[in-house]
Amino acid sequence: MVLDVRGLRKSYGGAVAVDGISLTARRGSIFGFVGPNGAGKTTTLSMVSGLLRPDDGTVVIGDADVWKSPTAAKRKLGVLPDRLRLFDRLTGAQLLYYCAMLHGLDRGTARSRTDDLANALGLDGSLERPVRDYSVGMVKKISLAAALIHSPSLLVLDEPFESVDPVSTAQAVDLLRRYASAGGTVVLSSHNMDLVERVCDAVAVIVEGRILASGSLDEVRGAGTLEQRFVELAGGRVAVEGLEWLTTFSV
Amino acid sequence: MVDHVLRLKLALLGSAFRPGRTLAATLAVLALAGVVGAGLVNAALSTDLDDPAHRAAAVLVPAIVSIALVVAPLAAGLGSALEPRRFAPFPVEAKPLALALALAGIIGLPGVLAVVLGVSFEIAWENDPARPVAVVAAVLSVVSIILSSQLLVALAAHLAVTTTARRTITAVSRATIAIALGAAASTLALAAQADTPTREVLAAIADGVGASPLGLLWAAPTADTGAAVARLLGGALLIGALVLLWLFVVARVLEAPQRPLPSGRDHGLGWFDLVPATPAGAIAARSLLYWTRDSRYRVVILVLPLAPVLMMIALAIAGSPLPPLWLLPLPVLALFLGWFAHNDAAYDHTALWLHVAAPLPGAADRWGRIVPPLLLGVPIILALSPLFVMWSGVEGSLPALIGVSIGLLLTGLGVSSITSALAAYPAARPGAGPFDQPPTLGAGAGWSQAFSLLAVLALMAPSLLLAYWGLTSPAWYPVAGIAGVATGLGMLLLGIVVGGRLFRRRAPELLDLVLRT
Repeated sequence: MVLDVRGLRKSYGGAVAVDGISLTARRGSIFGFVGPNGAGKTTTLSMVSGLLRPDDGTVVIGDADVWKSPTAAKRKLGVLPDRLRLFDRLTGAQLLYYCAMLHGLDRGTARSRTDDLANALGLDGSLERPVRDYSVGMVKKISLAAALIHSPSLLVLDEPFESVDPVSTAQAVDLLRRYASAGGTVVLSSHNMDLVERVCDAVAVIVEGRILASGSLDEVRGAGTLEQRFVELAGGRVAVEGLEWLTTFSV
Repeated sequence: MVDHVLRLKLALLGSAFRPGRTLAATLAVLALAGVVGAGLVNAALSTDLDDPAHRAAAVLVPAIVSIALVVAPLAAGLGSALEPRRFAPFPVEAKPLALALALAGIIGLPGVLAVVLGVSFEIAWENDPARPVAVVAAVLSVVSIILSSQLLVALAAHLAVTTTARRTITAVSRATIAIALGAAASTLALAAQADTPTREVLAAIADGVGASPLGLLWAAPTADTGAAVARLLGGALLIGALVLLWLFVVARVLEAPQRPLPSGRDHGLGWFDLVPATPAGAIAARSLLYWTRDSRYRVVILVLPLAPVLMMIALAIAGSPLPPLWLLPLPVLALFLGWFAHNDAAYDHTALWLHVAAPLPGAADRWGRIVPPLLLGVPIILALSPLFVMWSGVEGSLPALIGVSIGLLLTGLGVSSITSALAAYPAARPGAGPFDQPPTLGAGAGWSQAFSLLAVLALMAPSLLLAYWGLTSPAWYPVAGIAGVATGLGMLLLGIVVGGRLFRRRAPELLDLVLRT
């Protein structure tokens, strides 16, 4: 096990955001974390990646506890958080170099990995522009590159493909598959069930801060599609009532 | 051909006056040129050639101003320059183009100012027997200024391939102009109130410049008839050489317009290439970039030079005895600069996660952040202290002023290293205006600001007291200086170590704070 999460709990004031989540990810697997809006995905992944202190529970990466020996754990960890800023006055090349330096890489390695990642993610033409001029999808791509540059053994990606175009998504997915087949582990969250079904080999469904289903893709989806199972778990489709005016057109 | 190029030049000049972002800059440059032109004519009208100081200034000022005029076209940036390389794609002959561009050089501010300079020179020599020499010298000088500046633009445009090189050229030429105009103004001021020693110094400098190629023509009217004729002939030869060189350069650039970019990866990483490849180095480079680009930091750089001036004016109005007060601005500036960093982590806003998610030693984060204020503050203190001590007239206070100022800066940075980890409060977002405030500051803001300021003053109190004793017995000044530097170094190291640990421990809480703002 590369990632072992036990009894993770977090509440804001009275509201419980994450209510005792436990999950594990095998080495070389791509783990999909799915759930409706506000289910606690980002909160959980923030606690897993050492950005948000949990009220209770443990997160162990390899053999290092994220909250007891953070430096050892963070060496093995690559993070792509959702909706957090980057130092966006830096150019793409400067930002990647910066991340490489923060992780203790040397100058030559930083430069060559920057070039490699830019090639693999289709960023070559944009490295000299400030990140603040990037589109949302480009920011996701440069963030993914920043998470990968120190070759971590575990990647925690929060909504990595949101607003990313299909071609770049395919490129990034190829990159992640290659990474996983070489022994890397990925934990990613997404709203896109088709994508999770195509990419991941293990899935957990989180609703209202609890994990309702977890296991290999086939175990979780059963006979139907992942989307059907997900809607079922998330409370099913509620019959739409009281919107009659929407169907009486005033033409 | 000539006709076309001149019309193009006029159109380019006209475009600078179109409403938009550049209009204000255009008007400012125009105003500056107006001041320079008026100053030249005015100085020429009030020249009294019987005064040796004025005679020296009549050589020095034109020589200095002509340097500024030669580099002036570069100061506008090479992007807008009308230079031969731009005509390479068109089927034009080199000779007519060379003539047309040389004539176009007269149109435009540098050209006009060169003519004004020539005319002023003639005015200065109006009532002197050497006037005919001055007239010829002025004409030759104006021609050679214009030719030289055209040559310089063509060469610079040809050589500067990278954006960095272009920017450097623009910056260097602007600095040259500023220095030259300053030197010319101080020469005039010295000549106007000259006592005998100043007169001798001015005359000696003027002799030196007159003997150099720079003063070849401007010093011609001061020479004997034979020497004057020789100088004028030399000037004519110089122009001939410039013309030949100009023809050669234009023909050459038209043939081989492209100078290829150096092969390989040319684009550098700016500050990141200049710092060590360590976490602290990278954070220092990033901080420097933000200090120079982000208006929240830039406002500090803009206010710094103003603060001492405003302070002195305020104190003078309050009726304090002026000279010893010159010892105050630098320590206050150092105090403020060190204190300013006390909420630096919050300035990163949520980009702080990059530091939190990395296996980064806390001290590296602290070191990196204090590099810009250190680089800014220490040279300012070292360079300005002698000046302020001189103005204050307090003998022997230099070691105290330097030591106490450095101590205040370093202690401030040490205290800031702790407060920015321990007592951070919401700050304006990146990209916000310099005076924007976040929606909620919280009660912590006031405490944090006051605590950091008072802590610095308390820690530095012994050194400040020693410096104060120095006013009555100057033997205390060196002691105060050493005490100040020692306190500063100690507090800085302590602040970095303690602040680094606090940052490591409280990193998620800091991130939580910026997430909520």
